[in-house]
Amino acid sequence: MTSYFAGIDVGSTMTKVVILNQGIVASVIGPTGPEHRRLANRVMDEALNKAQIGFEAVTYVVSTGYGRINVPFADKQFTEIACQARGIASLFPRARTIIDIGGQDVKAIKIDATGRTIDFVMNDKCAAGTGRFIEVIADALGVGLDEVGELSLQSHHPAKISNICTIYAQQEVAASLAEGVPISDLLAGVHQSLAERINTMVNRLRVEDAVIVTGGGAKNRGLLKALSEQLGHEILVPEEPLITGAFGAALLGKEIVEKARQTRTLLQTKQRILEEIEIQ
Amino acid sequence: MAEEVKEVKPKKRMTATRAAASIGPMVKEFITSTLQARAEGRQKLAYTFIVCHHEEILRAMDVIPIWTENFAGICGAKRDAERFLQRAESLGLSRSLCTYALCGIGFDQWREELGQMPPDAPWGGQARPDFMISSGQIICDPRSKWYQASQQFMPDVPIYNIDLPYPLFQRDQDHRDVWDYYHKYIVKQLRGLVAFLEEQTGKKMDYDRLRELVDLSDRTWNLIDETYKLRRAVPCPMGTGDAMNTMVPINFMMATEKAYDFFVDLKKELEEKIARGEGEVENERYRLMWGGGLPAWYALNDFNYFNSKGASFPVETTYRMVAPLNEMDIPETRDPIEHLAWRWLGYWTFWYDKAKKRPGSEPDVERLINWIEEYKIDGVVMHEAFSCRSWHVGLIWQLHQLAKIYKPIPIYVMGKDGKREKVYRELPSLILESDIIDITSYSEVDTRNKIDAFIETLESIRANRAA
Repeated sequence: MTSYFAGIDVGSTMTKVVILNQGIVASVIGPTGPEHRRLANRVMDEALNKAQIGFEAVTYVVSTGYGRINVPFADKQFTEIACQARGIASLFPRARTIIDIGGQDVKAIKIDATGRTIDFVMNDKCAAGTGRFIEVIADALGVGLDEVGELSLQSHHPAKISNICTIYAQQEVAASLAEGVPISDLLAGVHQSLAERINTMVNRLRVEDAVIVTGGGAKNRGLLKALSEQLGHEILVPEEPLITGAFGAALLGKEIVEKARQTRTLLQTKQRILEEIEIQ
Repeated sequence: MAEEVKEVKPKKRMTATRAAASIGPMVKEFITSTLQARAEGRQKLAYTFIVCHHEEILRAMDVIPIWTENFAGICGAKRDAERFLQRAESLGLSRSLCTYALCGIGFDQWREELGQMPPDAPWGGQARPDFMISSGQIICDPRSKWYQASQQFMPDVPIYNIDLPYPLFQRDQDHRDVWDYYHKYIVKQLRGLVAFLEEQTGKKMDYDRLRELVDLSDRTWNLIDETYKLRRAVPCPMGTGDAMNTMVPINFMMATEKAYDFFVDLKKELEEKIARGEGEVENERYRLMWGGGLPAWYALNDFNYFNSKGASFPVETTYRMVAPLNEMDIPETRDPIEHLAWRWLGYWTFWYDKAKKRPGSEPDVERLINWIEEYKIDGVVMHEAFSCRSWHVGLIWQLHQLAKIYKPIPIYVMGKDGKREKVYRELPSLILESDIIDITSYSEVDTRNKIDAFIETLESIRANRAA
């Protein structure tokens, strides 16, 4: 019988589910609302339908993300740090630095050659430096979130955004727009400002190649360009950067079960040997 | 005027030692005794700051110290600082200034405006002083500016400022080449304080009594050092959570028999716990160092949260404001004022010689390295309090320096049997961010998420080593 393992990542903006056996069989991304428990059930159901299996076929569920404790069907919880590290180490064996740019926080994780976390830093005190910063600015400029990255790449003279506070930066951008500064220059400036803040935080760790960026921020090519320039390192991005935490969670669940099975087999073998000795 | 509403009381933190549990009533008692002294008017009361090496002088002159940082900390721990902070803000002071100072200034303004204690003042409130003794050392400008601001509301209360410098660390210079100059200057400062107190109290200094009190402090310093070194034991019998209580006799009760007796009892209690193999945590899995930063006084329960994950804190740099006198290379003298000045210099230069011997090290980093090894530390936790520059500047730099020494790569060391051994020396760190008493800067959910991730990292490193 095939064993399935599920990882569910309840982030501030999106909830992600990955179901795997030997590889990923289904993944679903849905918006996180105020009702974490109900939403976790719904996104999980969607993933199970996609994988064409019932919940009973799932051997182990690991939840992660800031809403991880609100997943009633999870067998175990891990933080996003452990799950991102596990997921990325599996996808990029050369990875040593992970930067996860989420809607509410930014995390940087150092991993070693075996994919284990050796250090991390998090910014969760302020919207500045997170995906929320771009959301607010995009809204002020009347630009869709999915257009922000490409538009900023058209800039030849990035504007200087001096305010660190998201709210003040929003006002600064609106004032510059009124003065006729092109939207592309403003967005490029916003990306530079954000990249500078992320770089300052990430530099608390020693940045080593390969650098992988995940989370919603990894879908913004303008931000990636600015961040790569700031860090002085090439940046790699997973095919679907939003699900790497859920993927890592599922992998951790799979490892827990496999370890338990190995231990059980070992105990059974020991028991058999003891019985044989007794018979002799 | 800002809304003046008391905040919700926090859940009481569990202590590991009887001694730490006895601190609350002790602090309440000395706050109450200042209020009583104010009412009776027999003794003079002085606002002042910790770490000034002047407690012996104050007590010898029968002056009762009112530790203003302590009172602000009490307001924070009782989650009752916000109304005083808001009052200071409404006076035009920025929230980004030292929140201890803001809390104290807000409280003073309110008390002076009412002519009595503000309603429901924590533990009866902070008594009005007869004079204020400020001290602007260790780059902490609120230690001189705070009382100047409070004096606006108490113009009749004089301020005396003492300046206590120490030679800065220079790798290519022996601090002993210059410390005679510093010593002369500090002695002059302390004698100036004596003259000021004589003038204020109308009494002459009893130098025999001062010598006795200095001797008592010296004995207490050595006793504290011996007591805290017991925490090297595995499992650790007392953690930093408790040390945030036991800092009270170190910082607020020095030069009293009560402080000495407290550490006699604590030492005995720790020895008994060690003999029973009893740790702060039932199953100690990780040994952490509180590597810097004042604590978030309203969130001391976070230490219990660490404990619930099997993490103990055998050592902290914060508030361990003593060093073993027998290991200090300071000249002997029977003049108590001269001795206080030497002890000051001996304390602040304690790690200089050791730091010079290690390439890339600095005194603060050297202290971390020594204690990481002596206390068998698995990881370092620091707290960046946004409103306090003097205690928090350089923390990130210290971690950078540590990271150069504790690299996540295998290195070879000489083992006990003289053979080369491969060891992994990685040392993860966690920086918590909030404030000393401003609870609006704190998120329990985010803080505990960080702690969870840190514990997972420690576990991950351990698993890697085992593999």
